[in-house]
Amino acid sequence: MIAVVSEFFDVLGSDAAWKSAVAITAVLLFGASGEWAAERAGTLNISVEGMLLAGAFGAVVGYSLTERATVGLLFGIAAGFSVAFVQAEMSHRLTADQFVVGLALNILVLGLSGFLDGEIGPTARRLPTNDIPLLSDIPLVGEAFFGQSWLMYLIYPLPVIVWWLVYRTRWGLEVRAVGENPQSADVSGIDVNKRRRQSIYLAGLTSGMGGAYLSLAVVGTFTDSIVGGRGFIAIAAVIFGGWTLRGTILGCALFGSVVSFRLSLPALGYSLNSEMLTAAPFIVTILGMAVFAHRVRAPEALTRPFVRGLR
Amino acid sequence: MEPLVTTTSSAATPVADEAVRLERVTKRYGAVVACDAVDLTLRRGAIHGVLGENGAGKSTLMKILIGLVTPDGGRVHIHGQQCDIDDPATAAKLGIGMVHQHFSLVDPLTVWENVALGEEARLRPAQVRTRVAEISEKYGLGIDPDATVGDLTPGLRQRVEIIKCLRRDPSIVIFDEPTSVLTPEESAQLFTTLRRVVADEGRAVALVSHKLDEVLHATDEITIMRSGRVVDRTPTAGTTPSDLAKAMVGRSVSLRSERAAFGAVAATDTVTLEEVAAPDGPVVLTVTESRLRGRDGDIKLDGLSVRVRAGEILGVAGVEGNGQDELVEVLSSLARLDSGEVTVSGSPVVTGRAGAMAAAGVAVIPADRHDSGVVLDMSIAENLVLVEPSQVAARGLMDPGRMRAHATRLIDEYEIACPGPDAPMWSLSGGNQQRVVLARELSCEPVVLVAAQPTRGLDVGAIEFMGSQIRAAAERGVAVLLISSELEELLELSHRIIVLSDGQIAGEMQRDEVDMDRLGLLMGGSAA
Amino acid sequence: MSVDADTSVAGPTTVTPTSPQVPSRFSSWSEIVVLYAISIFGALAISALLVTVTGGEWRSVFSALLDGSLLAPGRWGTTIGSATPLLLVALGTIVNAKAGYVNIGQEGQLLIGGGAAAFVGVHLGGPGPIVFVAIVLAGIVGGALWAGIAAGLRNWRGVPEVLTTLLLVSVASQVIGLGFRSESFLLAPITEGSGTQVSQTLQMPDGVRIPRITIFGNEFPVSVFAAVVFAALLALVLTRTVVGFRLRMLGANARTAMRSGVDSVRVGSAAMLISGGFAGLAGTVMLLGGDFGGYRFSPGFSINFGWTGLLVALVARERALAAVAVSFVFASLMTGSGFLAATGVERRITDVVQALLVLALLIPPAVLFVRTRRRAAAAREART
Repeated sequence: MIAVVSEFFDVLGSDAAWKSAVAITAVLLFGASGEWAAERAGTLNISVEGMLLAGAFGAVVGYSLTERATVGLLFGIAAGFSVAFVQAEMSHRLTADQFVVGLALNILVLGLSGFLDGEIGPTARRLPTNDIPLLSDIPLVGEAFFGQSWLMYLIYPLPVIVWWLVYRTRWGLEVRAVGENPQSADVSGIDVNKRRRQSIYLAGLTSGMGGAYLSLAVVGTFTDSIVGGRGFIAIAAVIFGGWTLRGTILGCALFGSVVSFRLSLPALGYSLNSEMLTAAPFIVTILGMAVFAHRVRAPEALTRPFVRGLR
Repeated sequence: MEPLVTTTSSAATPVADEAVRLERVTKRYGAVVACDAVDLTLRRGAIHGVLGENGAGKSTLMKILIGLVTPDGGRVHIHGQQCDIDDPATAAKLGIGMVHQHFSLVDPLTVWENVALGEEARLRPAQVRTRVAEISEKYGLGIDPDATVGDLTPGLRQRVEIIKCLRRDPSIVIFDEPTSVLTPEESAQLFTTLRRVVADEGRAVALVSHKLDEVLHATDEITIMRSGRVVDRTPTAGTTPSDLAKAMVGRSVSLRSERAAFGAVAATDTVTLEEVAAPDGPVVLTVTESRLRGRDGDIKLDGLSVRVRAGEILGVAGVEGNGQDELVEVLSSLARLDSGEVTVSGSPVVTGRAGAMAAAGVAVIPADRHDSGVVLDMSIAENLVLVEPSQVAARGLMDPGRMRAHATRLIDEYEIACPGPDAPMWSLSGGNQQRVVLARELSCEPVVLVAAQPTRGLDVGAIEFMGSQIRAAAERGVAVLLISSELEELLELSHRIIVLSDGQIAGEMQRDEVDMDRLGLLMGGSAA
Repeated sequence: MSVDADTSVAGPTTVTPTSPQVPSRFSSWSEIVVLYAISIFGALAISALLVTVTGGEWRSVFSALLDGSLLAPGRWGTTIGSATPLLLVALGTIVNAKAGYVNIGQEGQLLIGGGAAAFVGVHLGGPGPIVFVAIVLAGIVGGALWAGIAAGLRNWRGVPEVLTTLLLVSVASQVIGLGFRSESFLLAPITEGSGTQVSQTLQMPDGVRIPRITIFGNEFPVSVFAAVVFAALLALVLTRTVVGFRLRMLGANARTAMRSGVDSVRVGSAAMLISGGFAGLAGTVMLLGGDFGGYRFSPGFSINFGWTGLLVALVARERALAAVAVSFVFASLMTGSGFLAATGVERRITDVVQALLVLALLIPPAVLFVRTRRRAAAAREART
């Protein structure tokens, strides 16, 4: 027991551990910010995993074509968006079951990216860091927050932008209405499924960014296991956060740290029970939902598809 | 049938104060004609009543005006211009607004957010809030812009609906069955508001209703519809309830029950109900000191105690939201009492346990059959055995032959119009679905029948049928609890009437001592 | 209601509406066939395009697939071996779907069930048949309990089971991983002469293995017959029995069901337990059938059979008998992909084809459903 605590503090004192924690949190948050908006609209997109993966692959392709990170980012965003597009069209125009579509898309992206990776073999290199002067010199955490690649810095304004979109614009008001009471929204003249699709596009864009960041700046190359379930953790973070953005950020930070904790331990010479740690985010989310079930409220119409004329 | 008053034909030159002119508007759904060459004119500065029983086509007509339905024939003229109203957004642009009965507010959002929904301009919270306060002042609709809609009473929610509609400054306002959730007092307030709305900038207001006296009190002119057609047009002054009723139904209305269906009982009528012997059978249903809190902690049932005898029809009056729904839920085994007891035929029944009430012999016709009365996706035959599948099963296996025979018998007996027992429930009309519920419940030979808003949304024939079935059940010795917000229906059928207010009984009257004024007061919440 | 011109005669106004226009259950056979044909063709065309674009020969890929799944000798046997667990998972999914519960955690339930079965198989001694029964029970109970967690959380804390079942999948693989940490759980002791300890269990002994038979040169475990029988039984229970009726009631309208005596908590939880049990059984059958891992359980044992089984149920529109056919289709695709790998063609293409086919198969029912409901809603609206 004492060993665990001392291990914990050792990790806390490690620069590398902080850096990886922030990096992983950022990846999660890229996916979760968009998915938060999508869930406020009443949709649940298991395909976030696929969006992240597509973003990762697309970015590597873009980078290997032009040696430019910006192009890589754009390709990644486009790839993430494409997955989101299929999810949105099939589930909220054709009314196909959103879970099946999500599952199928994940399989599709996994297979497709692996297949194309094998055939085309795009290469990339880990992007250099862009240290912010002065701030990155802060002991312990400076490098983690301000000494990463510029792709990561995108995560700072992103949640703010998404929050502003959902709470300060008409679009956001309609998205929230659609997630709580699609029938009323419809009668008020709002195109329910259109808003839902748009919220999913947003998730695709942010996840595409996250995937690009992951493959170009964190890992430096593409393998089909690069996302490895983080898409699901992102969804867990949204739920854990009670469908508030603040809670989602907290969730991503918490889960990101746990994941990083697990990864950092071997490097520091420890081998804590890695299975428990890997499972921790999911168990914590489940327990959190169980305990706070009555305080936390999901959007009323979450996972319920909308067709005019049906209840 | 000859219309009572001839109006100028619609071929005359359009009048300057004409806001809406519908010219031979037609809408068909397959072989069913919902609107048949309807001519209707709404004038500015006037409140126009569109009167007709449920199923007459008035709702479809309004849906055409508001853009939810596209007509198959005819033309719509707004302010003299011909228009195609394709969707609610277009209707809004043309200056047409509707105050919906339900389904237009989003509970978790605030009042001002709801009012802002559906527009297209940039969202400016401060501006919206100010506007809400403005309108609220002007029309006497006090409301707090930052209140959460989900916390409001039905009366206040309607205010939000009205403000939402008026915010866009529509020149044409449609009120769709607005008084169903209001106390008599609130209704009177609403009519005052209507006057202000109309007087202001000469708006045209349409009041859609199936209630005679409402239309008589609140409108300047009336159009009566029946079976999709306009059968009469008349200024309100100089018309009598029986004229209107006659037009609505197509023949002289003499039977009390039909008049009851049209709300043809004015507060000033002296009520002389037929003499009926007060039932003296044993007490079959007792609810003792029932207490129940709702999900948000509000007290729904506050020590309510009720007793119903065999063969008695106990009418429960009161505006919706005073505990009727919760009482029915408890008797449907859908809710558990916090404290108190329910006994049927002398034995206590556990509340909140699935099927316990049904097993004890309590039949329920719920207010919302889609919610807890039928399974839309199942067939008629299946719906007819939902509560007691053992009626058609042996050793756990359901016998399709017996099920079909059972269904055919009930379909005949209750005159359910359908293509056959295997048709899905969702394909039936509301009235027929209600017959299925009634058939099923009565076929279990219950000792108690709870009928909650049993004739809501039904046409005259179905209403009559319901009434006679309820009476017949009572004559057979069933204890009937009749819950209705339609006073006339209660007066017609009940032996005794109690009034619910805030989860308690506010007052009680025997059939032969009913005082309309007192009833109204009790319903409004004043002790009397 | 086209009533003749105002000639309504005196008499009781029993308004008899004309029979409502009931759209037939299947819009029209040609509509359905055309929709499916287009969708499937689309999926295959995209796949062919992908192969061509990356420099392959789509004709040879498809013929290899066909060969590998259906034509080459012995392939049917492999397909049947895969179809059995898929079918079992699908049947379980149908049960919870009919009850109105969403279970997307079959992958985890299958793993836990298989793990529990392996545990018993490794540590329990005794006569073969008895151990066999114990193993099967353990597998079923393991899967059932895993699904039961989600059911419990929904019924006592209001947590949506779609989320918990999903999250529990990740937890399941970690639990199994834990099990392989110690020889007292799942890990097999180091064998003489080999250097490293591999993460796998001991082989299931002869006495508990599912017998295999050979028909027309195809070898497969006999568990398939049990699975098909289960499918038939489930179809019967759902359509003909009171139990099945009540279950369907619950899924269609929980409140009406409650009024009619169907306790949502009891019946719904039972449905989830059964669903998990089927998934656990699928894992057990995979273990004892021999086609997967040579009678050994290992981490990652489930190879996405839980997910695929779920897909089978959904593509089969939750019909038990259709699930039999769909599970065979998916299984033959898998078999074909195994063959593809052996001939050097990129194996992943089958994942792509499978996913595209699933997406393609989702479209026609969705379109038809919306159309039918719209017609009905319009017919109903006519009466207001």
